[in-house]
Amino acid sequence: MEALLDLFSGFRWQDGLDILLNTYILFRLYVLFRGTNVIRGLLVICVLWAVSQTAVFLGLVITNWAMQGIITVAALIIIIVFRNEISSVLQTKSLKSFFWGIPRHQFNTPLNIIIESVFELARKKIGALIVLPLKQGLDSVVQGGTPIWSKLSQEMLVNVFWPGSPLHDGAAIIQGERITSAGVILPLSKSKELPSFFGTRHRAASGLTELTDALVIVVSEERGEITLFKENQTHTIHNRLALGKLLQEDAGDDSTSKGIRSQTIELVAAGLICLVCFTGIWLSFSKGMETLATQEVPVEFINPDQRMEIISSSASSVKLLISGARPLINAIKPEQINIKLNLSQSVVGSNKLTITREDVLLPPGIRLKSIEPSELDITLDTLVEKELPVQPQWSGKLPKGLVMTKATADPATVRITGGGLALRDIATIFTEQISLDTLTKSGTVRVVLVLTPASLRLGIKNTIQIHYLISKKPS
Amino acid sequence: MRAMKQFFPRHPIPLLIFLMALGVFFTTDLGAEPPDATLVQAVMCESIENFQPLNPAVVFSISQGEVFCFSNFDPVIKKTYIFHRWYKKDKLIFTMRLTLSPPKWSSFSRVQLRKADKGPWRVEIRDTDDSLLQTLRFSMVD
Repeated sequence: MEALLDLFSGFRWQDGLDILLNTYILFRLYVLFRGTNVIRGLLVICVLWAVSQTAVFLGLVITNWAMQGIITVAALIIIIVFRNEISSVLQTKSLKSFFWGIPRHQFNTPLNIIIESVFELARKKIGALIVLPLKQGLDSVVQGGTPIWSKLSQEMLVNVFWPGSPLHDGAAIIQGERITSAGVILPLSKSKELPSFFGTRHRAASGLTELTDALVIVVSEERGEITLFKENQTHTIHNRLALGKLLQEDAGDDSTSKGIRSQTIELVAAGLICLVCFTGIWLSFSKGMETLATQEVPVEFINPDQRMEIISSSASSVKLLISGARPLINAIKPEQINIKLNLSQSVVGSNKLTITREDVLLPPGIRLKSIEPSELDITLDTLVEKELPVQPQWSGKLPKGLVMTKATADPATVRITGGGLALRDIATIFTEQISLDTLTKSGTVRVVLVLTPASLRLGIKNTIQIHYLISKKPS
Repeated sequence: MRAMKQFFPRHPIPLLIFLMALGVFFTTDLGAEPPDATLVQAVMCESIENFQPLNPAVVFSISQGEVFCFSNFDPVIKKTYIFHRWYKKDKLIFTMRLTLSPPKWSSFSRVQLRKADKGPWRVEIRDTDDSLLQTLRFSMVD
């Protein structure tokens, strides 16, 4: 139990959401494509991906490279080969059925009407070609045809194939309770294994079942025989019961309690497998791919004495060596890592503070390996006020023959607030440099005071006036 | 009221004068000794000629080679010392002890100027008790 808890240590709500979201996506893919060959293709890709990851783990560079290429090609092949299945899923009528609905049966076709119609056509020796599409779409396989979208009835279906009818010379497509189109041209089979007495209708039916999963019923015009083409196999039909049984397997109403229960079990099992898969993937990401990273994090000082201020610090940020899953490390934002140093026990002057693991706040799933530097020298000082004289700082050179005999600051002194230690050695506040080069006579200049260190604060605005007297130097 | 009349004399002016004299006596520190020397003049100058400062100024070019701090004391009661403390910015560069002799005395200190000396300077004139007598502020420039 402890091992299990340790396995899920650092589990965040984002991880839960991540797993559930991807589980649902995989589950939806299964629901939408179940019963088609796309699932088999996706399984192949999954196996290839597992092989590729194993190759990475074992350091098999070429195998990994080859697997990645194969996976890319396989994905393309799946899209091309299973375009009919994919298009039939994407052409779902509503978004609800795409994202939420669980189709318990693909079609709810009234099979009795079809069976009765087929036997009536056979009895009257009227040729017929009836297509019942299942999972795969037919759009890229069939040609022509006239959309009908009429409700399925025995009369309607017989009428479509009635000799002389404009649409009798092609296939009728039945989807659910409707005849969607008639006069549709199907691809002819080129198989040489078909019986010689099979005519064009049989070849067309065989051709379609070679390419799709559709059920095709053929009524022979000459012999009045009924043949069902299913999964590229022919079934000669002798009675209604046999036809009904064969149709029921794929196209019938499976809403019986037994069918619902088995489908529910299947879907629950599929959902659980998806959940287990993505939990496993999360574990492999979070535990398997442990990585190290260095983050430079600024230090935040908390609980300082209100009368004190920080004069200097040996470092304003420290380097943290952290470890965790690569995706977690890559997803770290600077504001997620904090170092808070408590200054409540610090005193005026120099303080040596040790950064402990408790001072470092890390996001879940990330572990702290080391802190560099782990000790900081902080100098704290109390705020004091001091009245200091102002002295102008002249630069350059006065024009020849002139001498500056007097220079007074206005105001002569300024009140400075700052740390006591910083102010202890300061006896004068100097102005910025004032150029002498252009001064030829007495006057006044407005200058800015220079405060060093910058933590010092002035009680007045930062500019003062300097009055100066210039006279000619006695010869 | 009667008691107050008995307490205060009829003519209070002599009493007031007495009280004022008493106040002056107690507020005057009769124990404070006069300073050994009184500073009457202190200037920065380019040179000294005949014990007098030549070209007093607050800005000096390093091309002049040297700068003088001139101080004149009058009177000087007894032989004593004063100190000229030279600071560049707020850093003490050197201290010069100067002797003063009665009845009056002028003394000076000086520095040789180099390129590195450019910037704001000040000279503090202090007595033997380390009391600040005067601060002279000036700049050394190109």
